[in-house]
Amino acid sequence: MLDLFIAMVKEEWRVHSTMFGSLSFALFPVLIFWIAFMGSFLLPLMRQALPAGELSLILHANYMMLGFMVGAFGLLGSEVMNRRFGQASLLSYSARSLPLSERFIFANFVVKDTLYYFVLWVLPLALGFLLASPFIGVPVTLPLLLALTLTLSFLSGLCAVFFLSSVYSRSKPALAVVLIILAGAAGALALITGQNPARFYPPLRLFLAFSWTGLVLSCAVIALLFCVSIWLFSPESSDATKHHRSLLVPLAKKLSIFPSPPLAAKDLIDIYRSGGMVGQTLFSFLIPLVVIWFFLSLLSGYLPAYGVLLEFALVTGVIASTMYTWITMFDTFGAYACLPVSVRTLIKSKIVSFSVLQIIPALFIAAVAVLSGQAIYLVPAVVLCLSVSFYSLGLTVWLTGLSPSVLVYDVRVMVTYLALTGAALIVLSAVVFAAPFAALGAVLLLIPAVFFARLGFAKWESREQPGF
Amino acid sequence: MSENVIEAQGLTKVYGDLTAVNHVSLSVEKGALYGLLGPNGSGKSTMIKMLTGQIRPTAGTATVLGIDVQKEPVHVRERVGIIPEQETPPSFLTASEYLQFVGAIRKIPDIDERAAWWFDFLDFADKKDVLCKDLSRGTRQKLMFAQAFVHTPELALIDEPLINFDPIMQHLVKDYLRDYVRAGNTIFLSTHILEVAEEICSGFAILHKGNILHAGPVADLTAEHRHLDEFFLSLVKSGSHA
Repeated sequence: MLDLFIAMVKEEWRVHSTMFGSLSFALFPVLIFWIAFMGSFLLPLMRQALPAGELSLILHANYMMLGFMVGAFGLLGSEVMNRRFGQASLLSYSARSLPLSERFIFANFVVKDTLYYFVLWVLPLALGFLLASPFIGVPVTLPLLLALTLTLSFLSGLCAVFFLSSVYSRSKPALAVVLIILAGAAGALALITGQNPARFYPPLRLFLAFSWTGLVLSCAVIALLFCVSIWLFSPESSDATKHHRSLLVPLAKKLSIFPSPPLAAKDLIDIYRSGGMVGQTLFSFLIPLVVIWFFLSLLSGYLPAYGVLLEFALVTGVIASTMYTWITMFDTFGAYACLPVSVRTLIKSKIVSFSVLQIIPALFIAAVAVLSGQAIYLVPAVVLCLSVSFYSLGLTVWLTGLSPSVLVYDVRVMVTYLALTGAALIVLSAVVFAAPFAALGAVLLLIPAVFFARLGFAKWESREQPGF
Repeated sequence: MSENVIEAQGLTKVYGDLTAVNHVSLSVEKGALYGLLGPNGSGKSTMIKMLTGQIRPTAGTATVLGIDVQKEPVHVRERVGIIPEQETPPSFLTASEYLQFVGAIRKIPDIDERAAWWFDFLDFADKKDVLCKDLSRGTRQKLMFAQAFVHTPELALIDEPLINFDPIMQHLVKDYLRDYVRAGNTIFLSTHILEVAEEICSGFAILHKGNILHAGPVADLTAEHRHLDEFFLSLVKSGSHA
């Protein structure tokens, strides 16, 4: 058990340091620590506008989402790694060559992820808060409690995605039933208590009012979900004899108004056949956004009625821009190296595929506008969302080319991205709060979006691409 | 006067502390079946990548079909066929879709007919609608072979093309390559399977630790009643220039 666990931790480090560079990756926890340390000094100011309970709620929601995304990546199977590194072979898939069961390896994988991401994300944040606590009048026990409850938040996201995907792998209708039951339970809780169900999120309740019973209960729920996931776990398998209808030519014809239709068609087929169209939309887009909506709706007491919707449109835009990752994760430029395709052409085709996928956030935000009784702001909300998404895409293309996952852990890239995205979001937030229809002006973001994308074309065309 | 389709002058590729290819110069005549031979890690694949514009040389120049590879890599890849060393076809396209994809990018109007010929010729028509990720290594290699020749390029640069084929398929492919050069085309073949090189190549170069140890016609060895494998081993073991 211990040998496999240590080997998996080493492997995780090497995967990340290979992808993002050893130094950049090693500096990532330092960045989190620094943000937490400096951010702690802003807490007294933030408390004047937002109660501490709401702030901690947003923090816990973010860590739950992190758990969700880490779990979703772990479950994407060997394909991502194979396309990124050639014939990659991870210990997670070693049951075929070692005398170890899939379930045993999966259990190690869960423990490894918990410890690894605790050190990477939770510990630096708690340490930053801990070191700042004497200066801001916060008891030392609070950062320690935060470290515990953020770990539980991360684990709850991780086990939720493992549980839902284990159910999904067994039966798609069963997943639908589970989701309906969860939505029904949340609705019932809201009706009975008259409160937003997000307030009953166990790690948050534990942070706001610690009790040993609450701690045991939170751990028990997480452990139960992990055990059920391991029990339901079904190793990835595919039917090698299955024949597929040809989609490339018909799809390329439908995309013929865009540049490079076959390349864009291939991207969409990759997403569709990898199960990403449903899985990615659900786990990397809809569920995180539903969680964010829950938490943002808590701010309705502090924001104008349209404010929550437009803030949500901004956040949705940023998350929608990560769809670029969906269409770049299954191949490297090496896959096109035997063909007359330039890096510039390939990135352009990815932008076309990305544009097609933007139907999802556009429909989603339109539905939210209607369901939240803010249909009058439907058009500004959609324009805001898509403009932010394309702006963030332009930045991503410029900063990362065909490897957007670099964005997460390369400190220099991440800081540049955060600064430029943050500046745009702050300006837009201020403008739309003052005049909601001014959100239509967000379309001007397309100018810097095109500018950054063009910078990206020139930058990445002149560099040797990884993956050969 | 013979026409050279590949001209490399002082090609060098350095990765950090490792010099993968060290100041290599070579030329390949039109109509040749030229073998680049060498042990694993000798720099063969790096040479092919530089000659097809997949990677940039640290130093030196190369022209392929008269085109400067560094200046116009995409133009070179338009004109030639390539089998890369490790690359496999896209996981979520079927074999048939992959050839259609290649046909669309290379603008081959009769791609369906050509693809059908390749499925029959390499005997994998029954797999044409199976996703590439579910194909065996051998079948993936057949597909990569087909994509390199489907547009009948005048020059093909192929890296270990026979490595995953069974003996029957190897025989078929060797015959195909011989016929291909007889029709006036050129093949630049990288391999460490010396019997294959001796059997089908007209000229060869031996690359070891990034350096060319020897280059010349296979006929010269035959005239001296020497076998390629013993010549290769003696050269590589001594590490000296012949």
